[in-house]
Amino acid sequence: MTEETPFRHESIWHMIAAPTVWTLHFAIIYAITAVECSKIGTPDLARLSILGLTVLALALICWIAWRAWVQWDYLDDQDYVHDKPTVEARREFLGHAGFLLSIASAIGVIFVAMPALFIETCL
Amino acid sequence: MRGPAVVLLPLFVLCSCDGPQSVLDPAGRDAEVLATLFWVMLAGAVVLWVALNGLIHFVTRIAPRPLNARAAEALIIGGGVVVPVILLSILLAYALNDMPRQRDKGEGLRVEVTGHQFWWRVAYWPEGAETPIVTANEVRLPTGQRSEITLNAERVIHSFWIPALGGKTDMIPGRETRMSLEPTRPGEYRGQCTEFCGESHAYMAFGAVVMEPEAFEEWLEREAAPAVEPATEKARRGAALFLSEGCGGCHAVRGTAAEGQVGPDLTHLASRVSLAAGILPMTEDALRNWVRDPAEFKPGVEMPGYDHLSEDELSSMAAYLGGLE
Amino acid sequence: MSETNTLRDSARHGDGGKVFDAGPEGTYPPTEEMLDAPVDPEVKARREAELRKAWETPKGWRYWSAVNNTEVGVWYSLTAFFFMLCAGVLALLMRIQLAVPDNDFLSADRFNQFFTMHGSAMMFLFAVPMFEAVSILILPAFLGARDMPFPRLSAYGYWSFLIGGIFVLGSILFNVAPSSGWFMYPPLATEQEGIGPDIWLLGLSFIEVASIAAAVELIVGTIKCRPPGMRINLMPLYAWYVLVVGVMILFAFPPLIAGDFLFELQRSMDWPFFDPDRGGDPLLWQHLFWIFGHPEVYIVFLPSIAIAAMIVPTAAQRPMVGYSWIVLSAVGVGFLSFGLWVHHMFTTGLPSLSLGFFSAASEAVVIPTGVQIFAFVATLMVGRVTMSQPMLWIAGALAIFTAGGLTGVMVAIAPFDWQVHDTYFVVAHLHYTLFGGMVFPIIGGIYYFYPFITKKKMSDRLSKWAFWLTFSGFNICFLPMHLTGLQGMPRRVFTYPESAGWDVLNMVSTLGSFILAAGILVFAWDLLRPKSKQPLTERNPWNAGTLEWSHDVPEEAWGVRSVPYIASRYPLWEQPKFLERFDDGKFYIADAPEGRRETIVTSAVDAVPQAVVQVTGPAWVTLWAAAFTGGAFILPVFKFYWLSAFSGACAVACVIYWLWTSTAQVPKDPMRDAGLGLRLPVYVTGPKAPGWWAVFITMLGDATAFASLVFGVFFFWTARPDFPPEGAALPDMMWALSAMLAYVVAWGATVAARELNRGGRQGVARWCIVGAVLATCAALGGMWLAIVMPGLQPETHAFPAVMYALTVWTSAHCVLAIVMLLYCLAGSVLGKLTQLYDADLRNTTLFWHFMCLSGVITTLLVGVAPRLM
Repeated sequence: MTEETPFRHESIWHMIAAPTVWTLHFAIIYAITAVECSKIGTPDLARLSILGLTVLALALICWIAWRAWVQWDYLDDQDYVHDKPTVEARREFLGHAGFLLSIASAIGVIFVAMPALFIETCL
Repeated sequence: MRGPAVVLLPLFVLCSCDGPQSVLDPAGRDAEVLATLFWVMLAGAVVLWVALNGLIHFVTRIAPRPLNARAAEALIIGGGVVVPVILLSILLAYALNDMPRQRDKGEGLRVEVTGHQFWWRVAYWPEGAETPIVTANEVRLPTGQRSEITLNAERVIHSFWIPALGGKTDMIPGRETRMSLEPTRPGEYRGQCTEFCGESHAYMAFGAVVMEPEAFEEWLEREAAPAVEPATEKARRGAALFLSEGCGGCHAVRGTAAEGQVGPDLTHLASRVSLAAGILPMTEDALRNWVRDPAEFKPGVEMPGYDHLSEDELSSMAAYLGGLE
Repeated sequence: MSETNTLRDSARHGDGGKVFDAGPEGTYPPTEEMLDAPVDPEVKARREAELRKAWETPKGWRYWSAVNNTEVGVWYSLTAFFFMLCAGVLALLMRIQLAVPDNDFLSADRFNQFFTMHGSAMMFLFAVPMFEAVSILILPAFLGARDMPFPRLSAYGYWSFLIGGIFVLGSILFNVAPSSGWFMYPPLATEQEGIGPDIWLLGLSFIEVASIAAAVELIVGTIKCRPPGMRINLMPLYAWYVLVVGVMILFAFPPLIAGDFLFELQRSMDWPFFDPDRGGDPLLWQHLFWIFGHPEVYIVFLPSIAIAAMIVPTAAQRPMVGYSWIVLSAVGVGFLSFGLWVHHMFTTGLPSLSLGFFSAASEAVVIPTGVQIFAFVATLMVGRVTMSQPMLWIAGALAIFTAGGLTGVMVAIAPFDWQVHDTYFVVAHLHYTLFGGMVFPIIGGIYYFYPFITKKKMSDRLSKWAFWLTFSGFNICFLPMHLTGLQGMPRRVFTYPESAGWDVLNMVSTLGSFILAAGILVFAWDLLRPKSKQPLTERNPWNAGTLEWSHDVPEEAWGVRSVPYIASRYPLWEQPKFLERFDDGKFYIADAPEGRRETIVTSAVDAVPQAVVQVTGPAWVTLWAAAFTGGAFILPVFKFYWLSAFSGACAVACVIYWLWTSTAQVPKDPMRDAGLGLRLPVYVTGPKAPGWWAVFITMLGDATAFASLVFGVFFFWTARPDFPPEGAALPDMMWALSAMLAYVVAWGATVAARELNRGGRQGVARWCIVGAVLATCAALGGMWLAIVMPGLQPETHAFPAVMYALTVWTSAHCVLAIVMLLYCLAGSVLGKLTQLYDADLRNTTLFWHFMCLSGVITTLLVGVAPRLM
């Protein structure tokens, strides 16, 4: 009954992949800063690693967003409501929601990385 | 339907924004920046609030013809994503940029404040000093420089705040925290503990005095000197009583046998702007009542009452303490 | 090919003699012809009688043994509402005290008890339980289900909440209430004499456990008990929010439970986690508390917005615009809300860089929240709005909430927060968000759902009075507080001097608070006044489109007459002939041939029917279990540790009895005719079963609590130079590693038992279970020897204390693991657990995956990590 769709479209885990990247990015840069400022005391290293991690996180989110965009397949039928009781509507809905979450997560990652641009000390 | 809000707005105008403890009446560099930031944010907030709620009022009450669904989607994107992202990015960039400035290292003077239940030990470390000048329940700072403030707590968490000068920082047992302040306008202000610290949290305030640099130097020199001798016979009796009652076990009056470190240093008590951590005026009456029964004014205070002393003895004690200029 | 398929029998005895689960047989989805097939009136009447009998609510004093969601939900919400009124009275008394400067209406100590209890009760006894109460009450109706998946668990949660709530709130009458703030910061709270902090810690931990139980049930209900056809893109928005909030509770509450655990260990055993003189750190508590505390705000806010998301489309008479956007916003807020906790700690002197991250995340969360609000506005614009009473409250909510949100943007700016933190500005801000984001939508929701619950309407006239009094009173009370705070008035002061100049503003606030209280009273009267003479409402009084309005008038205890096949987001608007088919019982399980309470279990994403499972009926054992659990939590407050342990053992016994007698029963007939040509199994095991999901979800929460303890270890390491202290005794590595080995062996034996049982070799499987029990005992012994042998003293320093705490935590889980294994062993021996019907063993194995992981991590942290630090 479900053979017609590959497994990945079944999963709501794909939908929350992007915010999960945001969470990991946030947790790791928080931990790096905590260790850096309490044990080592060279914020520049922390700022550099935050920059690197941010680029990495954004790249990941872009990739997730692209996958979600393909799954949403908006240009195909221009559907953004997804209220039909079909496998296609469900698949496109999860793609759409995943795509929007990717955008929100990207904004979140950029926001959270902003302090590293402005703040140069551990004070 | 937003009646009450409209009615209440004039209230903001009627009530003045100044006051000894007001954020909107700044006397320091950081407080000035933050007060300006507040007015800007308030203006923005009012505009956004009126726009959004006006829109809701319009669509629910005035009932125009329904919008098409595409336009509605555009409203979600514009109002929910684009506008907030732009506004918040600007605000965040501005705030993050000024944040390190407000926490800069001090330029010379360091003031070490320790929170006790329910008073403040204050120690001044001028640049290069090896021993501090200790006082209590009053913080004086010079204009024209950023002073470093280090914060400790003895038993529980307190928070050190002089609204007129800048933001607050918590005092946490077992950790030394720090902040810095850059006063710009001389005057007398009020600070208060803002982290709930027990029964008399409400009674843990202090006077904050900003002085011109020369006046501050003079004051600090006087503060470093030992206590003045009691001037009158009554005061001398008070001084003897102070020692015989064991007050010196907790309090220090430099230059006398009283060397206790448990309670506030009283060497120049009478030169402070207030008594008992910002809650009583510095008068002989207040001193007498305080010594008789501190718990009446400050529940949970550690100092015991001296109500076994006669009124006469209490008056002598007050005369002595009131003479410690 | 059309979307209709014939389900293959997934071969109960398929190829090679291997045994598979029973699968659904027959046609799904149903065709129009099947749905139009007439129903014989006699059959219909017989089926209705069967259902009525199966779902009958107990009468007389037995009424209190009811577990049905409609009963429990009503008790739950009324109790939460009562606690809210009590906490509100405390607020009024505080407002009287603050009306004039230097007032002595309340003493400092009493005022401190009052504000502590006001915050604690509003948060723990009103806001979160209210969400759970309302969801238990209405979620099954949204999902066309007959009941929650585990009704007895709801009842257990309710009774726990009632006992805990009365205990905590009652302490105020005896003048022994906690008085160090709802945040209970050590060292003030650890040092406070008396039983106040213990009441807070133990009483509220008890309630948190009940909250987590309810969250588990709500998540499982949303994932597994949707009606056939309700794919994830068709779920009512309320269900989306319940899912998000349930998951948030699962990750937010456990850190606080871990914190409570450490805190109570310090208070009762003097283990110095938060004592800086012995290597502890008061800030650890603040982290754990706010990792709970900030998501908590959104846990309170989202469900109320969920109610608004049901009212707004009804008011606009059209489907919600931007369904995907709202899902984005709910999920997005759910994630972001875990990155905000330090904004409650902006003044604790953390590095600016760290503060910056949290400041930025706090601003970022505005975006999904704004999307949510603009989706409402867009829906209202696209539709034709009829301004009903519920909608009036929602409009008021938006006006208040947006004001609170805008001040939230201000306080999220860390430097500005340094000024207003812990002042009345924040008091105003948080009340704007909570009234706008919780109280107003909830009241609007009560007006909206009242006809659904009681089949009567509340008064329009009283509603207007209540609204305008509450709305104006609220603003008169809280708007001036912004200015009071900016003028420097700190929070939690029981009085203030006249010279401060705060007297006019405070007097205005006090007047406002009484107007607000009058509004709430009018609402309470409207809610509770007798309405027996009032006529019943029509079935769908607001002309809404969602399933809950399909319930019968007058009420029938069965909930839904038949479990519908769903093909739209608003079935009552969009599915033709829906109600007619529904009432004729043309959908699924329209009968109860064996007189059992049943509900349909469907797949998680596409809601394909998988089984018809029995749900539990009325019982006293839930009440007993709650009472004994209460004893286990409450007695330690009075230092009755042995009695408490006894009470805990009784609670476990009650739960075992309840599980043994009513869950995972071996069925007589493995299949049941579900109607519409579909035959479904009545026993499911593994990931298809709600029970499996419940264990999985509970263990996620449990793992979060454990992760919080692990966070504690690393926190000490980064925050303290003396962790572990120079030259201190370290736990024995060899014993710890042996314990680790024993955990892996026990886990392997459990997995082997499951596989062997499946393969028909029950005898060997039983021996494997015995082996797993023995290995667990060995692990337990090894863990303790590792810390006892080198002579670690938990009272001396935070380092040994943390090592002990980890060991205690994991030991408690070992005991639970042993009980579960023995339960399976008994089941296998007594025929409750067979080759085919092995749900208990599967669930135990699932538990063991988590158990093994936490055992390995504990032993590594104890045995190896200290040597590397």
